[in-house]
Amino acid sequence: MKIIEKIPSRERCAEAGWYAWDYLLDGPMDAAFIRSLKPLGSFVFLSMLKKPFFKIESDYFLIKGIQGDDFFRMAVHEAHPELLEKVEQFLAAQA
Amino acid sequence: MINLNQAATTYPKPQCVLDAHAAALLQEPVGQFRSAGSPKGPDVFEACRRNLGSLFGIRAWERIFFSSGATDSANAVIYGLGLNGKHVVTTQTEHNSILRPLLNLTEQVGNVTIVPCDADGWVEPEAIEEAITEDTAAVFVNHCSNVTGMIQEIAEIGKVTAKKGILLIVDASQSAGCIPIRADEWGIDVLIFTGHKSLFGVQGTGGYYVRPGIPFRPYRFGGTGRDSRRLTYEDGAYEYEPGTQNTPGIAALNAGVSYILETGVENIARKEQEQMAAIYRGLGEIPQGCVYGDPGRNKGPVMSFNIRGLNPSDAAYILQNGYGITVRTGLHCAPLIHQAMGTQEYGTVRVSISALTKEAEIKQFLCAVREIAAGIEEAKA
Repeated sequence: MKIIEKIPSRERCAEAGWYAWDYLLDGPMDAAFIRSLKPLGSFVFLSMLKKPFFKIESDYFLIKGIQGDDFFRMAVHEAHPELLEKVEQFLAAQA
Repeated sequence: MINLNQAATTYPKPQCVLDAHAAALLQEPVGQFRSAGSPKGPDVFEACRRNLGSLFGIRAWERIFFSSGATDSANAVIYGLGLNGKHVVTTQTEHNSILRPLLNLTEQVGNVTIVPCDADGWVEPEAIEEAITEDTAAVFVNHCSNVTGMIQEIAEIGKVTAKKGILLIVDASQSAGCIPIRADEWGIDVLIFTGHKSLFGVQGTGGYYVRPGIPFRPYRFGGTGRDSRRLTYEDGAYEYEPGTQNTPGIAALNAGVSYILETGVENIARKEQEQMAAIYRGLGEIPQGCVYGDPGRNKGPVMSFNIRGLNPSDAAYILQNGYGITVRTGLHCAPLIHQAMGTQEYGTVRVSISALTKEAEIKQFLCAVREIAAGIEEAKA
C-alpha cells in the first residue's frame, strides 16, 4: 500500500503541542495492512467494531484510522517532526 | 454527514439566510453613509439592530454594535469599559474568548477572581456576591456553557450586581438564538454575542450591546463614511464601527435573527430541550457511557459525554470517519470547567444541536455510540 498524498489535518490539535497530518493511500486499508503496522508502537485494533478502529502510539507520535478507509491520521509532537519520516520509511518498506 | 457540532458553527443554515447572503452579494454595494445615490430598501444594519433588540429584550437597540464575533466583542468591551485596572469577577465556566482577554489585557483588568462551578457547570449567584470586593468593577458571566449546556440564572446575578453598583457583562455566545434573553429586565449592562452559532449568521459576524449611559471608548478608530473632516473625538461622541462593514454578513445575520423571531425562541428552546433530553436518555442507557450533567438542570443545546475505555478524541474520530457524524472533542476552549467535571486530562466528546437538527439524526448518533460502546465491551471480554 502506497502513500499518495500527505496533507496537514484540518483538525488541528496544536493546543496540546501536537501536529497532525492525513495520509492518503492508494486503496482502502484492510486488516492485514493494519496489523502490519504493529511494530511501530503500542497497538490497539478494535476489529469487533462495525467500523474497525486502530491506533498506534509511542511517546511522541500516534497513528489512527479505520479499516476500509483510504487514509489514516498521524500526529507527532512538535519536538519530534523526524518521526513522520521514520514512519513514512517504514510504510515504504512494507509496500 | 450529520453535524452534531452546532455549538461551534450552525450548519445547515435556514434557506432565508443563504438567500439574504447571496442577494447582498448580487446587489450593487450600498455603503454605509458613503453612497451618493439613494439606498435601495431599508437599511439592513438598522433592521438587524432592531431585530436583535427584540430578540434580546433590549429597548436601546441602537446601542448594539457589530463586530467580527464574540472574541472581537470581548476585547472591545474589556478595553472600552475603562475598568482602570480594577478587580473583576468571572466564572469557571467561561470560554477562552472571555478568559484570555481578561487575563491578558492587564492594563485594563487588575486581579481576576474566578468563581467555581459544580460538576454540571452551575455557578451559585451567592458565590459571585461573595467574590465581589470594594474594588470590583464588573462581573463577567457565561449565560450558557459551551461544554455542559448549563444556563446560569442571569436575573439573580443581575440583582447582585445592581445591589453592588457594578457592571454585569454577559457572554451569550452559546445562548443567543436558542435560549430566551431579557437583557433589560435582567439588569445586563453589556451583552456579548456571536452571529454564526444559533443566530444562524455566517462566521465573522457578531456584536455587543452597551447600555446607554455607560462610558465606552472604542479600541479601534478609522473611516466611518461620515463627518470625514473630524479627526479626533475629544467630546466622547465616539463611532464604534469603523472600517467598511460586512454588509453581506449582516444581511445574513438579519435573516437568521428574523427566522428565529418568526419561529419563536421559546419554541426553539422547547424543541431543543426535548431533543437534548432524548440524547441524555439514550447515552444514559449505555453502560459504558459517562454523561456529564442532567437534562433537568443542563438545558442548553449542548452536552458532554465519554465512553469508558475510549479516549474522547478516538470516539470522535470513529464517529466522524466511521459513521459520518461530526462532534467535537477535547476541552472546547473552556479549560477551567473541566477541572470541576474531572475531565481536564482528555476532555470530553461534545454533542450539540440546532433548531434544524432532525430526530432521525439524533437516533443515528445514538445508534452509532451504542455500537461503538458495545465494541469496546467486546474488546475487553
